[in-house]
Amino acid sequence: MVMPDMQSSAPKMSARGVNVFYGDKQAIDNVSIDVDLDHVTAFIGPSGCGKSTFLRTLNRMNDTVASARVEGEITLDGEDIYSSGMDVVQLRARVGMVFQKPNPFPKSIYENIAYGPRIHGLAGNKADLDQVVEKSLRRAGLWEEVKDRLNESGTALSGGQQQRLCIARAIAVDPEVILMDEPCSALDPIATAKIEELILELRGNYAIVIVTHNMQQAARVSQRTAFFHLGKLVEQGPTTEIFTNPREERTKDYITGRYG
Amino acid sequence: MSGETALDQSGLGVPAERAPTDWRGDAMRRRIARRYASERRFRLLGMAAVLASAGFLAFLLISMMGNGLRGFTRTEVAVPIDFPRSVAMIDPAVLQTNPEQALANANLPAVLEQATTQAFGVSDTQLLSPNAVLALRDAIIRDPAILDQKVTVNLPASTGIDVAMKSEGNGTDEALASRLDDTGVISTAFNLGFLTGSDGTDPTMVGIWGALKGSLITMVITLALSFPIGVFAALYLEEYAPRNRWTDLIEVSINNLAAVPSIIFGLLGLAIFLNVMHLPRSAPLVGGMTLALMTMPVIVIAGRNAIKAVPPSIRDAALGIGASPVQVVFHHVLPLALPGILTGTIIGMARALGETAPLLMIGMRAFVSQPPGGFTDPATVLPVQIFLWSDEVGRGFIEKTSAAIIVLLAFLLTMNSIAIYLRNKFEKKW
Ligand SMILES: Nc1ncnc2c1ncn2[C@@H]1O[C@H](COP(=O)(O)OP(=O)(O)OP(=O)(O)O)[C@@H](O)[C@H]1O
Ligand SMILES: [Mg+2]
Repeated sequence: MVMPDMQSSAPKMSARGVNVFYGDKQAIDNVSIDVDLDHVTAFIGPSGCGKSTFLRTLNRMNDTVASARVEGEITLDGEDIYSSGMDVVQLRARVGMVFQKPNPFPKSIYENIAYGPRIHGLAGNKADLDQVVEKSLRRAGLWEEVKDRLNESGTALSGGQQQRLCIARAIAVDPEVILMDEPCSALDPIATAKIEELILELRGNYAIVIVTHNMQQAARVSQRTAFFHLGKLVEQGPTTEIFTNPREERTKDYITGRYG
Repeated sequence: MSGETALDQSGLGVPAERAPTDWRGDAMRRRIARRYASERRFRLLGMAAVLASAGFLAFLLISMMGNGLRGFTRTEVAVPIDFPRSVAMIDPAVLQTNPEQALANANLPAVLEQATTQAFGVSDTQLLSPNAVLALRDAIIRDPAILDQKVTVNLPASTGIDVAMKSEGNGTDEALASRLDDTGVISTAFNLGFLTGSDGTDPTMVGIWGALKGSLITMVITLALSFPIGVFAALYLEEYAPRNRWTDLIEVSINNLAAVPSIIFGLLGLAIFLNVMHLPRSAPLVGGMTLALMTMPVIVIAGRNAIKAVPPSIRDAALGIGASPVQVVFHHVLPLALPGILTGTIIGMARALGETAPLLMIGMRAFVSQPPGGFTDPATVLPVQIFLWSDEVGRGFIEKTSAAIIVLLAFLLTMNSIAIYLRNKFEKKW
């Protein structure tokens, strides 16, 4: 399954000794982890343990929370993303994010996808843009369903379609890393399966980090898994190992469903 | 232990098994009936409230229309004039090249005097409006051939006759009016002069255009200043400003500003714009600036609420694909907040349009007989004009006041319709 040599190349993103505080309250405690380019990394752990918080430090979305404070070092291709030289807008284009709740823009389906490429100047003309829109929707497995109504509202789609629209929107700007925060939590099994398929297909082109409460899903889509508990990274390793032979008792209890 | 028993004895103890709810019992039926009744009551109350306000509005409109529509008409007298035998001194050569000048020197008032005395036995000043000379002049310019004939010209009646015909004038005018009416020389026509003229001393001569134009220019300045400043202030406070004691202070100040009585803004305008900045008195520029001071806080408050109502998930979505804060604001937040901002703008502008007090302070109550040509010309505005006319003693001004109110309401309606059209356009839900 996961070959040891796959970890030989330098990690795409790496975090060292990261602490996150909301005001005085510490939400993440000394977390160090690597995210590799050709891997899907799953973050698992009980509710409130800080998975979303940590995920949001990876593209500095925590900057928008006034009370949040981040310590430690996080690098993208070896460059510190919290350094003053890093342009946060460009960082977020390179490290895309899919949120827990589908949040399409209240604009047309076409505009939803075209917005990112347009503001980053990724498409020269209308034809290019059309192509980017089609390609992104195809990759997100939504094209067939919406190709005849690209001018309709993105918010009029079903929940699962909206989530795939958000994924298409994220990949339209061609990020290097995609962060997904429980992308399937509101979806039915069929839509979930579609998104898992999509993740498997995207794997290799993008470094993908996915937060999930669904152990089967983590086992199905990820190659590496990290288990968080009470703001600490308890254990990380190849997914097969975490699921078949966890080193920590807490990990074992969690994945066997003994607590959550 | 004893506590528990006490509870059990008083019947408050939790029963071992919950009795099944009786969904069809009498008590339940009564509860449902009560619920329906309260719902009906609520609907009736709501309908009564809507009917009451619609009734007030209808009453206002009908009474205004009843009084005011007459202000748009004028009474005319058919005066027979025998030009060849009149005292008119018109140089045909000059009439060809420069009719205005020829007629200015033609002694037309004497012609009218002669004509009215001959035909009706009264002087022209009693029978005809001072405007009649102008009307006669226009008639001659339109068709110079009448100078060689004996013709009948419809000329605007004096205020006394006008009032006597429309409502109740004084004794002599009433008698004269009814005598003339019997001979069939009196008619009613649309008073175009009311829509094109400005303030004057004789009610038959006044027009609303000067005040309307003054209001228009003032509103343009108010909007041009208060809308951008208000929107940018709201955006800055909501999207950029840190939350601290200073922004709290600013918020409280702005809320208070919106509640400050308007006359105080007038004093402020007087003190700053006129006394310190030495801008021209009575000018729409200063009026617009003063009203902008008053309108801006309303727009800021409405704007902040509208911006606050934009879901944070939209901001996250935009930031998440690498939109800069400015792009988030202008591409997503502002378009979604615009309908709310426009609602606030409508309210603020409607209030500004109806304001009199602050404009009195900066001298916009002057008698202005010429429509303003620009931002700095002396001008008056509709509500001030209404106020001035309602203060006049002449009876003829009563209907002019009502007519001016109709014009003001029409202006207000037009302004609001445009704003609501724009709002609906932006409100297009996706
Ligand atoms: N904006 C915030 N302000 C203050 N505290 C916060 C904020 N967001 C999260 N927290 C706290 O940080 C801790 C971690 O929250 P986080 O959302 O990261 O959990 P999570 O692991 O994603 O949980 P879930 O699986 O339920 O989504 C929680 O205790 C939460 O209360
Ligand atoms: Mg979460």
